[in-house]
Amino acid sequence: MKNPLEVHGVGPYREGQGKGMKERRVSSPANYRFEDRFLFVVVPLFMLDAALGFFGFHYHHLQPVGALAIVCAVLQSLPIVACIVVFGLYLGEEKDEFQKGILVQSMLWSTGATLAVTTFWGSMEKYSQAPRMDVALVQFVFCIVYIVALAVNGWRYR
Amino acid sequence: MICGESSAAYRRYYRRFILTTLAYVPFVLLAVWEFKHGHPAGVGAYVLAILPALPILGALVIAGMYLSEETDEFQRAILTQAMLYGIGLTLAVTTVWGFLENFELVPRMDLFLVFPLFSFLVGIASPVVKARYR
Repeated sequence: MKNPLEVHGVGPYREGQGKGMKERRVSSPANYRFEDRFLFVVVPLFMLDAALGFFGFHYHHLQPVGALAIVCAVLQSLPIVACIVVFGLYLGEEKDEFQKGILVQSMLWSTGATLAVTTFWGSMEKYSQAPRMDVALVQFVFCIVYIVALAVNGWRYR
Repeated sequence: MICGESSAAYRRYYRRFILTTLAYVPFVLLAVWEFKHGHPAGVGAYVLAILPALPILGALVIAGMYLSEETDEFQRAILTQAMLYGIGLTLAVTTVWGFLENFELVPRMDLFLVFPLFSFLVGIASPVVKARYR
């Protein structure tokens, strides 16, 4: 029996759903590489970041200064920057135009929404004493809006 | 953000963009003047604070409209790619800057600067993306 998702013709990426991991990985090599990069580069960096945060700043109350502070700041931002690079590589390598189209559309929506939120909040901070939003949180705003946009776009192209 | 094209969609985009830019100046002047001299409070203060953000939000909507109205696939692809590079770099810069801020290594970055930073990076990325297709 055919996979119902294939009957509805919702794109080659979804052809892999319901199949074994090997077939799914072969059907989208870009996705396969993305998963591997995420698992072997981004996840270890996040673990290193969490270890630094817990043992360094929470447990030992480290307060680095000078060059060590720069190293700590770079180490903490490294997983997020790696995440952006890994995602960019995936977008460049993905051959499935439909899948890429959905991702790009979602990214454009989240770009617009993130810039709208930061501009609005920045204005409130500047002129009406609204609480300060950390600039490192821009990435999280983008991620949240991106997940919502991805779900909405996926639903539109069902 | 978009350089030197003269399709109907681009002309519309340009007209709309000029209008929002013209609206920006009086809105900022009004908000600054009112906060300096009028000392507004409550809902009025929030409304005034939102005023300068409105034309920028308008510029974002106008860029989105241009993307959906542009029929030249090539131009659209170039702008889309430039925007993706722009947001990727913006997120990277704000993340690194945010963590450097936490260690008090750099001055505080105003959230209001995220949009100009994005526009600047898109401006740099556009000719680079275009040059790749030459």
